[in-house]
Amino acid sequence: MTSTTTATPYRTGMQSVRDGFTQLLHSEWTKFRTVRGWIIGMVVAVLLTIGFAVLTASGGTIGCGGPNPSDQHTGAACRITPPLGPDGEVVSDSFYFVHQSLSGNGSLIARVTSLTGLHAPAGIMQAGTGTSGMTPGTQPWSKAGIIIKQSDTAGSAYAAMMVTGSNGVRMQYNYTHDVAGAPGAVSASSPRWLRLVRSGDTITGDYSTDGTRWTAVDTVKLPGLPQTVQVGLFAASPDYVVVNQSFGGSSAAGGPTLATGTFDNVAVQGASSGDGWTGDYMGTPRARAGEPEFVTPFKQSGGEFTVTGTGDIAPIRDAGQPIEQGLVGVFAGLIAIAVVAAMFITVEYRRGLIRLTLAASPRRGRVLAAKALVIGVVTFVAGLIAAAVSLPLANHISYNHGEYILPVSALTELRVIAGTAALFAAVAVFALAVGTLLRRSAATVTIVIVAIVLPYILAVASVLPAGASEWLTRLTPAAAFAVQQTLVAYPQVTASYTPAEGYFPLSPWAGFAVLCGYALLALGLAHLRLSRRDA
Amino acid sequence: MEAAIEVAGLRKRFGSAQALDGLSFAVRSGQVTGFVGPNGAGKSTTMRVVLGLDAPDSGTALVSGKPYRTLRHPLSHLGSLLDAAALQPSRSARNHLLWLAHSQGLPARRVDEVVEQAGLGSAIRRKAGGYSLGMRQRLGIAAALLGDPPALMLDEPFNGMDPEGIVWMRGFLRSLAAQGRAVLVSSHLMSELQDAADHLVVVGRGKVIADTSVAELIAAASGDRVALRTAARTQAMTVLANAGATVATTGLDTLTINGLTADRVVALLNASAVPFSEVSAHRATLEEAYMELTREAVEFRAAPADDEGAAR
Amino acid sequence: MSRVVDHASGTEQAPQLTSAPQQGAAREPGSIRPRTSWANLREALHAEWTKLRTLPGTFWLLSAVAVLTIAISVASEAAVTCPAADCGQDPAKVSLIGVEFGQSVAAILAVLAVCGEYSTGMVRVTFAAMPRRSTVLAAKSLLIAGLTLLAGTIAVLGSLLIGRLVMPGKGFTAAHGYPSLLSLTDGSVLRAAGGSVLYLTLIALLSLGIATLIRESATSIGVVLALLYLSPVIGAVVTNPHWHNRIERYAPMNAGLSIQATRDLAGMPIGPWEGLGVLAAWAAGSLLVGGLALRLRDA
Repeated sequence: MTSTTTATPYRTGMQSVRDGFTQLLHSEWTKFRTVRGWIIGMVVAVLLTIGFAVLTASGGTIGCGGPNPSDQHTGAACRITPPLGPDGEVVSDSFYFVHQSLSGNGSLIARVTSLTGLHAPAGIMQAGTGTSGMTPGTQPWSKAGIIIKQSDTAGSAYAAMMVTGSNGVRMQYNYTHDVAGAPGAVSASSPRWLRLVRSGDTITGDYSTDGTRWTAVDTVKLPGLPQTVQVGLFAASPDYVVVNQSFGGSSAAGGPTLATGTFDNVAVQGASSGDGWTGDYMGTPRARAGEPEFVTPFKQSGGEFTVTGTGDIAPIRDAGQPIEQGLVGVFAGLIAIAVVAAMFITVEYRRGLIRLTLAASPRRGRVLAAKALVIGVVTFVAGLIAAAVSLPLANHISYNHGEYILPVSALTELRVIAGTAALFAAVAVFALAVGTLLRRSAATVTIVIVAIVLPYILAVASVLPAGASEWLTRLTPAAAFAVQQTLVAYPQVTASYTPAEGYFPLSPWAGFAVLCGYALLALGLAHLRLSRRDA
Repeated sequence: MEAAIEVAGLRKRFGSAQALDGLSFAVRSGQVTGFVGPNGAGKSTTMRVVLGLDAPDSGTALVSGKPYRTLRHPLSHLGSLLDAAALQPSRSARNHLLWLAHSQGLPARRVDEVVEQAGLGSAIRRKAGGYSLGMRQRLGIAAALLGDPPALMLDEPFNGMDPEGIVWMRGFLRSLAAQGRAVLVSSHLMSELQDAADHLVVVGRGKVIADTSVAELIAAASGDRVALRTAARTQAMTVLANAGATVATTGLDTLTINGLTADRVVALLNASAVPFSEVSAHRATLEEAYMELTREAVEFRAAPADDEGAAR
Repeated sequence: MSRVVDHASGTEQAPQLTSAPQQGAAREPGSIRPRTSWANLREALHAEWTKLRTLPGTFWLLSAVAVLTIAISVASEAAVTCPAADCGQDPAKVSLIGVEFGQSVAAILAVLAVCGEYSTGMVRVTFAAMPRRSTVLAAKSLLIAGLTLLAGTIAVLGSLLIGRLVMPGKGFTAAHGYPSLLSLTDGSVLRAAGGSVLYLTLIALLSLGIATLIRESATSIGVVLALLYLSPVIGAVVTNPHWHNRIERYAPMNAGLSIQATRDLAGMPIGPWEGLGVLAAWAAGSLLVGGLALRLRDA
């Protein structure tokens, strides 16, 4: 008798759903949000970021004033608002200007026969000693030449042709722009002819070695240049800077310098005022060496002009505080992020939950991807909130304490805030990947924190020479802090462009890409390990 | 005689949950005491309080007449097994026992003795993380025996054991009691204790519901009920009901009679010439007795208050 | 049923607190022995030592303390140069910078010694065997301190030795003002070296206390590393000299590492030994708070 009972296989009455990645995301998100400690961790990350920034901002106080107690002030009364250039950045606009006015189109020609300089090696000039204590020699960016300037207001538009201490002939305009002409030093035997031609709001700069064959350096537009402008000869010389690297950071020493240019064959074509040349200090003569008791800034004998000046026409950095100072709390926030992100995976291993997770979704790579996406998005949002609150709040406090906050464009500010949020996300994904690799939370958290914070400490607050610091902030995950940098390094301004001063060797997104590279590498290895090893 | 383990008036609250609500009982030497109750009744909490791991809000817990935390070498007074999984997985089982032995000033030789007793054998040099739950229970038993204590306290030692292991464990517990030791064994499955325990402490909602010998409990649960198997069901019901008994139908040909002894039932049925095939005094199983006892005390708590969240 | 309940309530009169302990003391041979805490501590040390040495991680972490400290120090020794006299570099600081890295591994060692037991629940076994929790913490502290001391000594001596070989080639010569470079016969170098070993030890103890308080390893190590590494970052940013001075004086890493200075001591915000003292206070405080929590909280 062959009676086979054929049982109908059980079929679930539940509506069948797609085996989609969305579901996996949903389940990982549910996993994340239902652990109270992790949500608290995110809140802590945000609060730490804001809290440390506010604390640091509140701790800074600017003091100023004279020797008398009644003249001494602190806080907002001390804030110095520096001039801004046409592009919106803080500029120095100090030089000696021998000028006359020019109406409408025209041109200015001069021949430079020498550029000499003096500087005070000790950085301090004694009043009344004249230039006797100074050492001869120009600075790399000591400059003398011809200039067309919108007005005598600090920060107004200009275009200039010049010879420099050791950077040859340059055409510079509107503070941030610098175009190279002929290299080499100027001397009586090797003079330089310089020419600026105005046509509407366009200015062309040329140079020549003989006054007949001209080479164009650049043609630039100065939008909104008025009908009447000031044209003439100028000399300026930035403070000299010596950066000492030692334990505890770098220290910059410097002092005032002087540059003297000698001109002849000076010719103005066009509707000039015609009443001869006037010499004036532009801006604030920052160095005492430029004061008349030491030198005569302007001499004219026959066709020869001698102009001596100090200061610089260039962007400057140390006039205020960059906005990224309002994000110092990010370090604290990142530590909290690393802890939560590491636990998001290591807890699964500790309690054997990973087996259930992989039983529910056997495609392990997708589990990892879903986890990375969830933790990445969650931490991005946390970072966005943290940065968007911390940055304006801390800068507002600093401003009220008398700091001048260096202005940046809205786009740059957006990049800094979004970049910080991305930094949170990338660190979280990195921590998740390392956690998947190691399966141990303490080691994971340590590796992530040490990889991100320690190189920064070593680069910024330690002994290492600038070269080593730059390599640290180029090769390690700490490179990603470049995404917060708003300071711009200008080759035509001599300064200490080190990580300690806020200058990272890589551009913002390139630096961030380094961290992403580490995160992706770790994620790849984690995927390999997750796929190959028993859970 | 002094009790080996004695708790009196224990109260403990975890947040809004009253885990222990005036719990009192004593564990005597020479017998196996079952410590039973539904999940979340407070068994594990009581054991942790006895070991001085958790502090009660009020009440006392004494081991050999003293608070556990004042004992010089506690493992020679009370051996315990709370959670068999509570060991560091990368350490070998032998080394786990070794550090415990060192903590009591015991020589390494003692480790080999308890390994033998618990039937761990050659697996002892393997990493404890790779042990099955049954093997971990044996390792836990070995640890509890290290100090050769007069009292043992084991939390769910049958968990994860195969049938052979359960039989072994029952015999092992009996032999420990036979040596004059006091043995307290918690369980939520009465069948596990059926042939092992002499005495029961039943708890529910943090209170002792019953503290009795197994024999008494079963007798109480059985009552004076009689089971009757008969083809003439209706006839029998009439006869017995007329004699003043409460009769309930329990099957096609079976009845349960309350209020008459078995002898009286037989006499009545014979007198009325009602045929029957079987009369027996009903004897409850331990499981039934327990179910009856805890019916009102069962607490439906999905997550016990002492559960450790994975996220902390 | 009612009979059963009566039986249960009958036991409530059983414990007599006045007589019970005396009976127990008379009966148990174990309690006749004098209750010296020394014997307790000795046994706890023995047990904890067995625990530590039978965990494979211990050896690797201790090795990592030494190896990573030396590796970072050597990298620093190779990077820093002294091109001329008065270059302002402190060779002891240069060659001991790896401690800033090695401390994180010492912190893991200490954190795991505590949190490893909490994550598995083994801590209940530990406290069932050794109910005097402060004794257990003391034993753990002594052992972790001893092991870190050992690894730290190797790390510091290794760093200095390689520094003596490498740094003269980098311009740290007698002509540039470094006559007895990194010699332990130089009192200040000896202080920097010994102090760095103590620094690592104190960091381990600080971590142990924090871990005892927090119990969860990832959070503990996060808190420890935040406590250590945030202060140098904040210190580099804070412009107010008053605040800057406070961070240098009271933050555990900044203050503690002042022990490494061998030059320009007068200009430092806090003296070397005072700085290490500040760190010792941090470590003692964290152990105290951790120990207190251990006593008061359920295991």
